[in-house]
Amino acid sequence: MPQAPLTAKDASQFRQVLKCYETKQFKKGLKAAEQILKKNPKHGETLAMKGLITNSLGRTAEAFTIAKEALRQDMKSHVCWHVYGLLYRSEKNFEESIKAYKMALRFEPESQQILRDLALLQIQMRDYQGYIESRRQILQGRPQLRQNWTGLAIAHHLAGNYVDAENVLTKFEETLKNPPVKTDVEHSEAGLYKNMVIAESGDTERALENLESIAKASLDKVAVLEKRAEYLLKLGKMETAQAAYRVLIERNAEKRVYYVGLEQALELKEDDTQKRKELYAEFAEKYPRSDAPRRVPLDFLGGDEFKAAADEYLQKLLKKGVPSTFANIKALYANPTKRQTIFKLVEGYYASLENETPQIIETPTNGETNGDVTKTTKPSEFKLWSMYFLGQHYDHYRTRDTEKALKFINEATALSPETVELHMTLARIHKHAGNLQKAMEKMDEARLLDIKDRYINTKCAKYQLRNDHNEDALKTMGLFTRVRTGPSPFQRFLQLLTLTNNMQIDALGGPLGDLLEMQCVWFITEDGESYLRQGKLGLALKRFHAIWKIFDDWTEDQFDFHSFSLRKGQIRSYVDMLRWEDTLRAHPFFSRAALGAVKAYTMLFDKPHLAHSSLSNGHGTEGVDFEGLSTADRKKVLKKAKREAQKAQERAVEAAAKAKEEKAKNAQVTNVDDEKKKEDTDPFGSELAQTKEPLEAAVKFLGPLLELSSKNVDVQCAGFEVYLRRRKWLLALKCLRAAKELDPENPVLHEQIVKFRTAVGKISDEDIKAPSKEVLTSTLEEIIPADTNLEEYNAKFMERHKDSAKHVRGALRTRYFLKPSDAPLTNLLDTLSLDSLTLKDAIGGQLLLRELKATDEHIKDYNQKAANRFPDAAAFGGKVE
Amino acid sequence: MDIRVLQPSDIPHVQLTNITNLPENYFLKYYLYHALSWPQLSYVAVDLSHTKPGEPPKIVGYVLAKMEEEPADGVQHGHITSLSVMRTHRRLGLAEKLMRQSQKAMVEAFAAKYVSLHVRVSNKAALHLYRDTLQFEVDKVEEKYYADGENAYSMRKDLSFLEEPESDESEGEETEDVNIDGDVPKEKGEKKRSVKVGRPLGVQDLQEVDGRVA
Repeated sequence: MPQAPLTAKDASQFRQVLKCYETKQFKKGLKAAEQILKKNPKHGETLAMKGLITNSLGRTAEAFTIAKEALRQDMKSHVCWHVYGLLYRSEKNFEESIKAYKMALRFEPESQQILRDLALLQIQMRDYQGYIESRRQILQGRPQLRQNWTGLAIAHHLAGNYVDAENVLTKFEETLKNPPVKTDVEHSEAGLYKNMVIAESGDTERALENLESIAKASLDKVAVLEKRAEYLLKLGKMETAQAAYRVLIERNAEKRVYYVGLEQALELKEDDTQKRKELYAEFAEKYPRSDAPRRVPLDFLGGDEFKAAADEYLQKLLKKGVPSTFANIKALYANPTKRQTIFKLVEGYYASLENETPQIIETPTNGETNGDVTKTTKPSEFKLWSMYFLGQHYDHYRTRDTEKALKFINEATALSPETVELHMTLARIHKHAGNLQKAMEKMDEARLLDIKDRYINTKCAKYQLRNDHNEDALKTMGLFTRVRTGPSPFQRFLQLLTLTNNMQIDALGGPLGDLLEMQCVWFITEDGESYLRQGKLGLALKRFHAIWKIFDDWTEDQFDFHSFSLRKGQIRSYVDMLRWEDTLRAHPFFSRAALGAVKAYTMLFDKPHLAHSSLSNGHGTEGVDFEGLSTADRKKVLKKAKREAQKAQERAVEAAAKAKEEKAKNAQVTNVDDEKKKEDTDPFGSELAQTKEPLEAAVKFLGPLLELSSKNVDVQCAGFEVYLRRRKWLLALKCLRAAKELDPENPVLHEQIVKFRTAVGKISDEDIKAPSKEVLTSTLEEIIPADTNLEEYNAKFMERHKDSAKHVRGALRTRYFLKPSDAPLTNLLDTLSLDSLTLKDAIGGQLLLRELKATDEHIKDYNQKAANRFPDAAAFGGKVE
Repeated sequence: MDIRVLQPSDIPHVQLTNITNLPENYFLKYYLYHALSWPQLSYVAVDLSHTKPGEPPKIVGYVLAKMEEEPADGVQHGHITSLSVMRTHRRLGLAEKLMRQSQKAMVEAFAAKYVSLHVRVSNKAALHLYRDTLQFEVDKVEEKYYADGENAYSMRKDLSFLEEPESDESEGEETEDVNIDGDVPKEKGEKKRSVKVGRPLGVQDLQEVDGRVA
């Protein structure tokens, strides 16, 4: 149904609407559109523009209604379809958006604007075939622009068509009559990009040839040198490769791969220690200020040679007063001989310096005029940092002796009380000994010595979180977040009302708001893990969802670069970025938070009452013993908890609304985006925790984990727990098999195998279809035969791993599962005598006792014995000060 | 500790290092903007011994650098957006090594004439590094440059000492090119335009929170 064209006056008004939209004068644009619609209420394209502007004003639902009406009026208008696509795009529904753009193109096949918009979505969605097609059409439309050629080449390259990609690039090069000026960054980059394509196609020989031809004109000298060395080595041109790596080391003597490359080019064998030593000695002499040629030999030298080299290295650093000396060498601690040698060396330094005469420092007492001085003493750098080193040595998990560690650090602190590093390490020693309270206090003392340093401030907040002092941690962080002026008058008013606590204020912005906005992943994750420990599952989930959101934003961040990078011309790093984004959620920052979320949701499925943190035990000491209550009492308690949560929620929402009002009063211009961001109707995450479908929510987090972190055994085990509860037998089995492949003797896996065997035995025929059941039975048979005596199977596992506390715990948990009445806990007590026992193990054992409903007597015995082993650990009621 | 050019995959850990150490923080996208506009200029220091296989490397220091997009004085120059090294890894000379690599690349890849930066007037350690070790000079004091009201020294360092003498051949090429075109002013216009590309090119919402866009 073609529409009658607008009158000249209206058409000019329509152009006005477009202009207003482009210049973000939305209100004005809306008015103009409505004026046209007064006379032409059915004009599709005007309606479409009205919809687009309405969306920009934040009224999305209304915008969609208008845009649909526009399409009804004018199905054949590319404008209407284009707008429809843009609306979907702003909703991040890229699939629908692509469909709409394609419709728009049908009516306006030549439109560069629509093609470009479509192409952006295709590359964002990694629809390479679609992207190739769009880029081809864009190129046909405007072949005079270099970026359009490059764009098509990228499309081919990403789709794996190396030949096509190269051809497109070459074709453009051939159209250049004169070589562009030397400083043309786009040209230089295009050349190196083509070289990347050739190299990735596998033709190293031609890649080298091509590189030689463009080397002079290329502005990225490092890339040229690195690629050249790499190709030469690959092609076995050893002599030239050697020279190439020497040039690279000359430029940057701190990049290990250069040395590795040079060693390969020299065809040095790994055990040819003498030659290797000489090589590094040559560079050590040539570059007196570089670390690598001195540090690398410590990895491969042995015996006296190691001792001599380590001696030289350690003395150099310690005399210079390098605080990170221990950090620099501690990788060598994996080797017991080297560990011992290093220790003996530093112990020797200390022994020789123990009675050194301290340096006397004179500082003027009262200004500089009257000549009075205060005399203080100062140890030599060598002595101070040797002591620091020894303190760290005794705190290292392989050589831990808390008492000695404390002795060295305390003595060093007495000699140099202002040295922040010593206080930090003191806190760390307490943390390792299990006294989180003291660790936190000591780190705060360290912080006060240098309040302008954010690093120490960060550490302090981290230690507070480890000790579950979430609000203190937030206050500490708040010293460096954006709003440093303290609470606003309105916030103070809320505080006075005691209706609220700090967390509510944070929900309105404040330090937490800033940390969320600035993507402070570490804090949000640690905060969430702390809440998980405390059984505050709502807040824990709140944080883990925040991490999810940050990763969503990071995915979206690439969008603008699809056009930006083509114009900027830095293609190689753009391609690097795309590839990194492809596996973004493989990042441990993601998997850590996602595993936390999966755990919280699994717990909620098992015990929905945990949604109310007042009913959860957290560490197991406070709160109501919900599971010990009668059914009637449970109902009562649950109802009360729900009521309380509801009230808290209402208060928070009310406070948020008030704050918003307040803000609106203060600010003349309110930004729609900002408003949307700040609103949070569920600051405690109680809605998240009270979900009716915890397992479905867990699956959302599990998806990227299983796809991108499938080599992580914890991921497979977490996946199993979720699928078992969802009665997705084959998926559970898949996780089990994957876990078995990764770590066949994993104690959690062991427990899961037994559980699964039991569960599968009970599956009814309605629960699983025949063919699936067959696969299930036969595959499981390979892992654990149906006729296995599970108790015996478990006993054997326990016997096999009696020297590992972690495995003993797994076996005990399994035994409890098989036979709850039978829980002889002597095995657990015995683990406390194991040499390999860590503090984490001991605490794990303590938690297990509660889980297995051990008697108070048992727990007391366990704690006593554990306290002997870990006298400073607060968990066992040791010396808590 | 390895010193090498920053890659996009390093950015989450660079962001972590930044927010651990400094009050001026940026969105991930702002790091991407640097890495994708001037990929040669930003460097990282990596603790290899703490990096497990298959995991992203642990970054203990970084320099985030750029070219000034619209230099007020019309002279191409680099700018240090942010530089920091973990307190646990100080006195290893990492900051200096990072800066030297970045400066060299500024000259080679973008013909920078000088490099500039801002530093808090109270930050003695950084001031020492820039002035004494790296020979920066204080250009001027910028009042209330930081969000908390502190002043900044605006510092700069001439980079002409890093320029390689040009070979006859390459000089010839350039002259030839200009001669054939016969349109030197247009050339310059072109160049200027390519300098400008950063802002209007669609990377919106890029902000330096607190640090202000210099």
